[in-house]
Amino acid sequence: MLSDYTMLNYGMALVLGILFGFSLNKAGLTKYNKIVNAFRFTDMAVLKYMLTALMVAMSGLYFMRWIGFVTFPSVPATYIAGNIVGGLIFGTGMALAGY
Amino acid sequence: MEDIKTFINFIIGYIRKDEWSPYVAGILLGIVGFVAVWLSDSLLGASGAFENFAGAIGKAVAPATFDNMYFNFIMPPGLNWSLVLFIGTILGGLIAAATSGTLLWGKRDAANSDAQWKAIFGPQPWKRWVIGFLGAIIIEYGAGIAGGCTSGLAISGGMLLAPAAFIFVAAMFAAGIVTTLIIYRRRY
Repeated sequence: MLSDYTMLNYGMALVLGILFGFSLNKAGLTKYNKIVNAFRFTDMAVLKYMLTALMVAMSGLYFMRWIGFVTFPSVPATYIAGNIVGGLIFGTGMALAGY
Repeated sequence: MEDIKTFINFIIGYIRKDEWSPYVAGILLGIVGFVAVWLSDSLLGASGAFENFAGAIGKAVAPATFDNMYFNFIMPPGLNWSLVLFIGTILGGLIAAATSGTLLWGKRDAANSDAQWKAIFGPQPWKRWVIGFLGAIIIEYGAGIAGGCTSGLAISGGMLLAPAAFIFVAAMFAAGIVTTLIIYRRRY
């Protein structure tokens, strides 16, 4: 059986997931043309969306750490070869599938 | 009173819009991103959940094949936070499409509805399925090697100023631009 804390945490995940999917869909990132046109430099919505999210999340997180609400989780490990090779493969798939 | 009514109508009207300004949607994602760290001490991610899920199936079907380092320690199978998040993401996408009246569930051209895709590859739905399937395998493989996807590594890592995120995004765009150039040729 799952503990109360786990249930609450999973409930949180579900709510955050719904908001995440909602925002992705409304930004048009579920559309093939939005993704591919970012690579063609004809529609920059993907970049505007990603960088806005990045800025808001970054400011929020650093502010919350400053007032002592959060401690940062361990950051994704830097593994240069893996990050580059993985990124290259990922980008190829992204341009093909458009998701 | 009138003002509040106009305001609420404006909000509802905006929620029902098919396409939001990327800045507004981006603010929503940014808030979700830091609330996840604040209240759940977790990072948003989509690609890991596939591997947890695949691991669970694999352990049941072919335990010997899946008894390795990767599925035992790096991506342990079973229900976890990011899998629940992923289920929520699918629901959220469905809800968003329903609110803007663009939900294509069960419609005739649901599988291949993008005009630009049809112009490049053709109108047949099976092509969309095959290329989407192959592309997704490549995506998931790349995410596995890099240690995350656009949400798990680029945005969640980026907001913690992790160098990995910025290396990943640069490589992703480089490969994406080259691939699109090859597919589109003169129509680029």
